[in-house]
Amino acid sequence: MAEKKKKMPRVFDYFEEEDLFSGGVAWCAGCALELNARFVGRIMGKNTVLVGTPSCSAPVLNGQNTAAWHKLGHYACTMTGVASSATGLSRYYRKAGIDANVMCFTGDGCAQDIGFQTMSGAAERNEKMIYLCYDNEGYMNTGVQRSSGTPFGAATSTTPVGSAGHGKDTAKKDLPMLMSMHDIPYVATATLSHLEDYAKKLQKAKEKSREGFVYLHVFCPCVDGWRIPTDSSIQVCRAAVRTNYFPLWESEDGHYRITHNVSKPKPVEELTGLVGKFKHMSKEEKETLQSMVNKRFNILKALCEGTQNAA
Amino acid sequence: MGFIKENEKHIFETEASWSDASEHLLCLDTGDWRTERPVVDQDRCNGCGFCVLYCPPQCMLADGEYFKADLAYCKGCGVCVKECPKQAIKMIPEGEFADDSAIG
Amino acid sequence: MTVQLDKQSKVITGNAAAAYAAMLCRPDVVAAYPITPQSEVVEQLARFHANGVLDCEYVPVEGENSAQNVVCGASMAGGRTFTATSSYGLVYMYDALFNTAGYRAPVVMVNVNREPPGIHAVCSGQQDMISTRDTGWVQLIAESCQEILDTVIQGFRLAEDHDIQLPVMINYDGYYLSYLAESVEIPAIEDVDKYLEVLKSQPQRPRLIPGQSIGCGSHGMGMGYVELRRRHMDAMERVKAKVDDIDASFAESFGRSYGGQVETYRAEDADIVLVTSGSVTGTARTVVDARREAGLKVGLVKLRLFRPFPVQQLSEALKGKKAIGVLDRSIGFGWNCGPIFMETKALASQIGIVPMLSFIDGLANMDITKEHIDTMIDAIYDASQGKDYQETTWLP
Repeated sequence: MAEKKKKMPRVFDYFEEEDLFSGGVAWCAGCALELNARFVGRIMGKNTVLVGTPSCSAPVLNGQNTAAWHKLGHYACTMTGVASSATGLSRYYRKAGIDANVMCFTGDGCAQDIGFQTMSGAAERNEKMIYLCYDNEGYMNTGVQRSSGTPFGAATSTTPVGSAGHGKDTAKKDLPMLMSMHDIPYVATATLSHLEDYAKKLQKAKEKSREGFVYLHVFCPCVDGWRIPTDSSIQVCRAAVRTNYFPLWESEDGHYRITHNVSKPKPVEELTGLVGKFKHMSKEEKETLQSMVNKRFNILKALCEGTQNAA
Repeated sequence: MGFIKENEKHIFETEASWSDASEHLLCLDTGDWRTERPVVDQDRCNGCGFCVLYCPPQCMLADGEYFKADLAYCKGCGVCVKECPKQAIKMIPEGEFADDSAIG
Repeated sequence: MTVQLDKQSKVITGNAAAAYAAMLCRPDVVAAYPITPQSEVVEQLARFHANGVLDCEYVPVEGENSAQNVVCGASMAGGRTFTATSSYGLVYMYDALFNTAGYRAPVVMVNVNREPPGIHAVCSGQQDMISTRDTGWVQLIAESCQEILDTVIQGFRLAEDHDIQLPVMINYDGYYLSYLAESVEIPAIEDVDKYLEVLKSQPQRPRLIPGQSIGCGSHGMGMGYVELRRRHMDAMERVKAKVDDIDASFAESFGRSYGGQVETYRAEDADIVLVTSGSVTGTARTVVDARREAGLKVGLVKLRLFRPFPVQQLSEALKGKKAIGVLDRSIGFGWNCGPIFMETKALASQIGIVPMLSFIDGLANMDITKEHIDTMIDAIYDASQGKDYQETTWLP
């Protein structure tokens, strides 16, 4: 069988380091965040300081007493203080002439809700750092409560389905779009089914964070909170891209570009059908979600077209 | 004075909580969690490496021309099975390996 | 860039004094958000920065919570940091205050005392400082513009001392001191460098440097947590003597001192004493002088260190007195008295049971007049003579 040569995916060429995490860490079986964190570490490299908060990532990113689970630098802080703490680190490193990748690494609850002000402030000041939001569409660590990143229709422990409740009744905050309006050097969305696209964006993020604030929004399903089988997180990521529910795009210096074109987008039901939190939705509710997806995608498309040839 | 005695060995040598992973890492035997393990059918495997790429704990390792899960850490999630384009991996219940030392 | 700044005397406000002091200590990172009555501190620092006098990373943040987190982060990376706030801003950084103290980050901050939210008085009062007393910060209170400047410099010497490694909050009365212009002696920057030089010879505290696989703020698990809490408390205990030492060495370098933890005035041979803090102490001194002239053996004890509470020094100053009054510019619920009074009363096992009187005055910029101080001294005197007394009195 020696004629069967291994031909590893090109993504491996982007890796700067071996896996910087311990073999066995306390993330759930099938957790997309685990793949995400390990992937980020390998591309960003050891010269990185992650800034994180109490969250799903904290049990692994934070040390326990004097020991730790990974070889990256890490600064733990409150959920209100991520981008500001990172500002402090980044500013001091600049003053002291120390080269570093300062990267905030938080969930959507921190980025879109309680830590939003400080992130927006850091973006407006164009602090030299990367903010990576892994979007699992709610507070998964504390028991699956809704955040402003929870999509329309989704059932969570604070938007439960009952005789009067039908899941979340407002739209998901479009955070990457919102961040791109801060006039920062680089914004991108990424997900774990499209890893080469993600790897390129991380590399660009590293480079552009020397100029100023970089925002990365990574779609990152939660097997437990979304009620999906442990083997399905990558499949769900792929479905989110194929339905334009989560389009892959970037905005570099104000030029918007879709990085992965979906020639024939599937109906959003192809995603919602895979995910337990959407199972209860009626035909009308699914149509509402579809129209929200269409509306957002049209705005993105218009921005891409409108900024294509701009100086 | 108090409960921390003089000359007693302290947990921290620092005044605040600092961790140091420069020499060793904490590690859990997450292989314990598994109820099924992935087994690669070498005849079907084309060596594409997707299982290696998508494995959340990154425990799919090279085994000659093929791949094999590191059973010390594999949590048995099945992502490798789902992502394999050749359907070359199957999840087999741990009970079928009763004689095997399950934790590699 | 080497900045040369010679010693000078200048008529400046308390806010300007704080900004001058911070600049003279050459911080690496300054982050602050404006708030009345502190804004002038931020503005002055921004001017220093814009003029190249202050060579630091200056971060004009979008709120006080961020200000505190920026300086904490920069401090843990190894920098010297400064911020300033007041009242609403102080409580808006409440979670971050715990974080900074728990990280043992030697941040220096001035808090310009102002009443907290709720009744919305844009006025002076110490309730803001009181509400953060157990966040783990060292809290000092300054009386004059000169003392503000000197205490900020002492604050860096204290915060960054290897035996201490704690954040230091320097409090001064909003309006009364923030906007009061007095003649202040501004030391030469090289003399401040020299005063702080001893810090360089101490072992370096841990720093979060990329590439070293270290983490700041690991989970304190079980006894790990307990041990660090204990260390925090032990460090706070060490602060007390250190404040005295630093004040004494400051006198050697600059010729000014403030008594360390507490400053006594005509208290040694006094029968009765009044405990004050902050700017009102000047008025109280004048009244004490007048009452001494009239033959009353009254003295004054100024509390300079509030956290950690100077148990020993204050006990020594109060021991043997026949009656004690404590002036508070804030309130404490449950005990129906002023908070500094409440803590002073806890010294009973050290100083014995004597009449102790709580005076609540000067809330919301209400002037604490000489007449008010006279009223307090009269009440303390009557109580010392065995007359019935009311424990808590609100003035006016």
